[in-house]
Amino acid sequence: MGKANIKKYVLNLAPAFGLVALFVAFLVLGTWKDINVAYGLKSILNQSIVVAVVATGAIFIYTLGSFDISLGASTAVSALIGAMVYNRTESIWVMLFVCIGVAVFVGLFNSVLASVFNLPVFVTTIAMLSFLNALVLLLININGTGSEIAIPAPAVVPYNTVEFKMVLLIGFFLLCVFIFSFTKIGRKQKFQGGNPLCAKLSGISEKKMAIIAFVMSGIGVGLGAFLSIIYAPTLTKNTASSVGMDVIIAIVFGGMPVSGGARSKIYAAMIGAFSMTILGQLMVMFNLNSGIGQMVKAVIFLLVVFLATSDQRGKLLPR
Amino acid sequence: MKTGNNNILKRIIGTLAIPGIALVIALLVCSNQGVILFETQGNWILFLRATASVMLTTFALSLNLNSGRFDFSIGSIALVSSVISATICINAGLPTPAMLFISIVAGGVLGLCSGLVYVLIKLPPIIVSLGVALFYEGLAFAITDGYGVSFVANQELTSFTNSPWNYVGVIVVALIVFIFILDYTKFGYEYKALVSGQKVAVNTGINEVKNAVGCYAISGALMGVVGFLSATNSGTVQMALNFGSIGTMFTAFLPMFIGGFIGRFCNEKIGYLLGAMTTALMSLTYARLLVDSSVQQIITAVVLVLFLIYLNNENKVIELVMIKNRLKKK
Repeated sequence: MGKANIKKYVLNLAPAFGLVALFVAFLVLGTWKDINVAYGLKSILNQSIVVAVVATGAIFIYTLGSFDISLGASTAVSALIGAMVYNRTESIWVMLFVCIGVAVFVGLFNSVLASVFNLPVFVTTIAMLSFLNALVLLLININGTGSEIAIPAPAVVPYNTVEFKMVLLIGFFLLCVFIFSFTKIGRKQKFQGGNPLCAKLSGISEKKMAIIAFVMSGIGVGLGAFLSIIYAPTLTKNTASSVGMDVIIAIVFGGMPVSGGARSKIYAAMIGAFSMTILGQLMVMFNLNSGIGQMVKAVIFLLVVFLATSDQRGKLLPR
Repeated sequence: MKTGNNNILKRIIGTLAIPGIALVIALLVCSNQGVILFETQGNWILFLRATASVMLTTFALSLNLNSGRFDFSIGSIALVSSVISATICINAGLPTPAMLFISIVAGGVLGLCSGLVYVLIKLPPIIVSLGVALFYEGLAFAITDGYGVSFVANQELTSFTNSPWNYVGVIVVALIVFIFILDYTKFGYEYKALVSGQKVAVNTGINEVKNAVGCYAISGALMGVVGFLSATNSGTVQMALNFGSIGTMFTAFLPMFIGGFIGRFCNEKIGYLLGAMTTALMSLTYARLLVDSSVQQIITAVVLVLFLIYLNNENKVIELVMIKNRLKKK
């Protein structure tokens, strides 16, 4: 293996090394500062899991070189409708299917709107973000107490466990890995993202790929909505409000190129989501002012992405 | 001669059609509800303030977006520049024009820094802007210890909102300066060359790095004015963390697309102004009819999607109309 190849491998794995380094730092600092590390790890899982699940599904959209900014709002709407259905049916499984159904419907609507009317996906999702945010307020006003929609806490207690959440996370992750890395769909998606014209000339349907990507993303959003309800069964207008941007940060932090294509990595979302949460926890350990903590996070974010992509610099400025 | 007159008429109609239709709809809806759209000076101030803010944000967004550079950080620049200018003016007892000046300089410097980061680390602009937005939001929070800035009782600094002419001044000056920079300077010519063909423009010797940094600095200065308008209106600067500042950017999409359409018939920058006026008219109508904010958001999103559907399928729509006309004649 030549030097260039070793460098390529190291750079490729930089986000994973970053996660390991952050994890070790958390354990060392946690032990040194005498905090309850087990509780800290549980807290990290709870904070990361929604973003990890939603972002893993969203990788399919990013692989196509597209971008969806409405995922957080979609998670909120799915969770609210899921909770409303639970209050009618009192079935947790019906709630799960409704969450996924609503999220897949929103994703399909986005992709159909974009592909049938030739709209740029990103702009479609901006309009959808505005629409869904408004829908969140309307749903809470119409169906809740005016400020929240809640389901009884005892209903979700059996599911609010590390084991159940890990099963959901790993199950969805393995499904995505299988589709992304071991089926024609994943290869076509990367081809489509890397060179749309060539993919089209090879007979790959752009519309079909977009629909599959949005369906996979919808399943992730639906699971994220379900996990949000399980963790906090009282839903307000702030539910999942930061998920949309956290997903983008997680995906990029995990080493996913925003242009999509052959370099796309399905595991990027998971690495990014956990890395960002551990980083946040480390800031808390240092008792940093929230503002300074966010500034440090921003610098580390740019630094990691810079290092991970240092072999991809061109002569022209990237656009 | 007749063709020339027709051409001018076509341009005038094309330029004024969208804001004109929006005005007629707003007047009709308001009169139907027994409300006068422009009843008081306060209504004019609301309309002009919204026009100024949205127009400046649209200029700032489009300057980089037209070059393929998506910038999430413009809202955070408005936030930090208003924090800096308000803090300095409150502590030093400076008047409103000084606050405006400091806001513009602070915004320009923040934009310049953002541009320098972009050209130095050469990451895709969308990623750089995410990092910069996080950093600036954190900076604003750290400067004020999370409390924000409040000067509600400061009559001098809040006096800017008293006269609609202040906003007219901002709109006119910003429009003239923006048109001058982009249409009558070497920087503007090079900018247009880079927009239409990055590789060719760079190969002909245009310094892309200089131009890109300049764009970020101008965009930042414009957002400095937006921050100033927002702060002097409410008398406070509220903090935003975790991308709470990016909402500012979304206000500029509809006027930008409307402006792009109007730009076929006149200068694109005037198109952005008319686009901003159209959305400001919508905002004033919502305010006069006491429309719920969630309903406002839904209407705006639907209008944006419908407008985009038309823009992206214009040829098909025209084709359909022609086929229909032919069938009618037969």
